[in-house]
Amino acid sequence: MKIDTLIRHIREAYRGIRKNSWMSFAAIGAVAVTLFIFGIFLIFTFNINFLTKELDKQVAIRVTLKDGLSADEEEKLTETIQKDPLVKTAEFVPKEKGLKDLKEQWGNNNKFLDALQDEDNPLPDMILVQPKDPNKTKELADELAKNTTQIEHVDYGEGVTDRLLRLSSVMRNIVLFFSLGLALLASFLISNTIKLTIIARRREIEIMRLVGASNWFIRWPFFFEGAFIGIIGSIVPIILLITFYFLFYDIVNDGEAYGLFKIMPVDQLSIRIAISTMLIGIAIGSLGSMISVRRFLKI
Amino acid sequence: MHDVWKVYPNGVEALRGIDLKIEQGEFVYIVGPSGSGKSTLIKLMYREEVPTHGVVLINGVNVKRVRDWKIPHVRRKIGVVFQDYKLLPNLTAYENVAFAMEAVEAPRRKIKQRVEEVLELVGLTDRMHALPSQLSGGEQQRVSIARAIVNNPTFVIADEPTGNLDPENSWDIMYLLEEINNRGTTVVMATHNKEIVNTMRQRVIAIEQGVIVRDELGGEYGYED
Ligand SMILES: Nc1ncnc2c1ncn2[C@@H]1O[C@H](COP(=O)(O)OP(=O)(O)OP(=O)(O)O)[C@@H](O)[C@H]1O
Ligand SMILES: [Mg+2]
Repeated sequence: MKIDTLIRHIREAYRGIRKNSWMSFAAIGAVAVTLFIFGIFLIFTFNINFLTKELDKQVAIRVTLKDGLSADEEEKLTETIQKDPLVKTAEFVPKEKGLKDLKEQWGNNNKFLDALQDEDNPLPDMILVQPKDPNKTKELADELAKNTTQIEHVDYGEGVTDRLLRLSSVMRNIVLFFSLGLALLASFLISNTIKLTIIARRREIEIMRLVGASNWFIRWPFFFEGAFIGIIGSIVPIILLITFYFLFYDIVNDGEAYGLFKIMPVDQLSIRIAISTMLIGIAIGSLGSMISVRRFLKI
Repeated sequence: MHDVWKVYPNGVEALRGIDLKIEQGEFVYIVGPSGSGKSTLIKLMYREEVPTHGVVLINGVNVKRVRDWKIPHVRRKIGVVFQDYKLLPNLTAYENVAFAMEAVEAPRRKIKQRVEEVLELVGLTDRMHALPSQLSGGEQQRVSIARAIVNNPTFVIADEPTGNLDPENSWDIMYLLEEINNRGTTVVMATHNKEIVNTMRQRVIAIEQGVIVRDELGGEYGYED
């Protein structure tokens, strides 16, 4: 497309928005509401992905050893595991240390734990294994579990991550469902304003056809108009979403109780939200244009 | 055109087996009573309508087979003029003509030069910044002719270009079309104007009820309106 043509299309799109200012305003409002809710969905999604990655980083495979292995055997086994190409680190944790860690984690005045002395320590000896690639955790765990003579059982973070994902995916789907419905509604409103523009310009369109303007030359301004409505409609939700997230982030990170809960830093999230919300706005706008152009623009 | 039929969706047979060949550079009148199919024939020529049956070739292109995206390129070779001018009311004469060049994405430099050139040809240089509402019917029709020829078409089609004009303005338009024809452009014009046809002798094609009843060089109008 030539620069002159591009400028012309943009100018025409702007004229279209100005001309039906009320309809355009309603369409922009609808886009804004839609994108706000879409944005909440996106914040969910981004954070779940973020959290999953964070958890993945911490994922360790806990290899529980059979009772009654000699210290020598235990040391050898640790070395063997360490040599496995999938393994980053393998750390032997004797049951005494396990108990100490547990006590520290739960605080020192837990009567029940305090009562446990080294003699009646119910914990087994363990080896903590960090995989090189978190995605290969399951593969590695299965491989380790084959050594049934020395290893009691192998478990890894599967449970926590999975449960978290399942819970959040329900909420996520509800929000997604809502936003898709709204997106259709917004597209419909946009298609209506563009229909008005098409009707207002039918003489121009007729003449453009007569003198041999290409089909896309005739269509482009309407797509730009839809896209602009989408972009303008995304500005307010982007500002609101980032502001709310900023406040939310502070609350979450202040309370120590939530310490184990890590959410995506504001700067990372802001960029993602801004870009994706605007792109979705453009998509909704273009969809609206397409509906109208297909139905009302006879070329 | 070969054995062309046009049946509208409502069942009206507007054209019934038209055989017609127009050579480059000709000047052709299409005459006939109201409802005989003149406008339909013209619409087939600029591909506003497609034939129900038969072949229409424009500059060697079969308008029925041509792909949608190529239609604009066919239309660029054709300039169309209407009885009601079809000017954009909020653009000046200059802008109306320039609009046709912008629509085919001509470079801006060329637009200014060429638009001024055709406006001079139609004699409207001093009125070029007037809106259509500030122009007389004859002047408006001249703007629409300027628009039709600005992209250098190989032929110009006019459907009753003098239909809304008084005799004096009609003659001005006719001299203009003759001038355009003298420069090598084919001109096809549907008309009810007996005086013009009988004075400015050219090839006359008479249609009645969708069939050609007469086709003669330098013919007469042949109807009593
Ligand atoms: N779009 C259309 N749909 C249905 N019928 C049509 C359509 N256009 C024209 N007709 C019919 O086709 C026939 C030929 O019409 P056309 O407009 O070609 O006549 P014409 O010779 O141009 O008449 P006039 O001299 O009054 O302009 C008429 O009977 C008309 O009613
Ligand atoms: Mg007619």
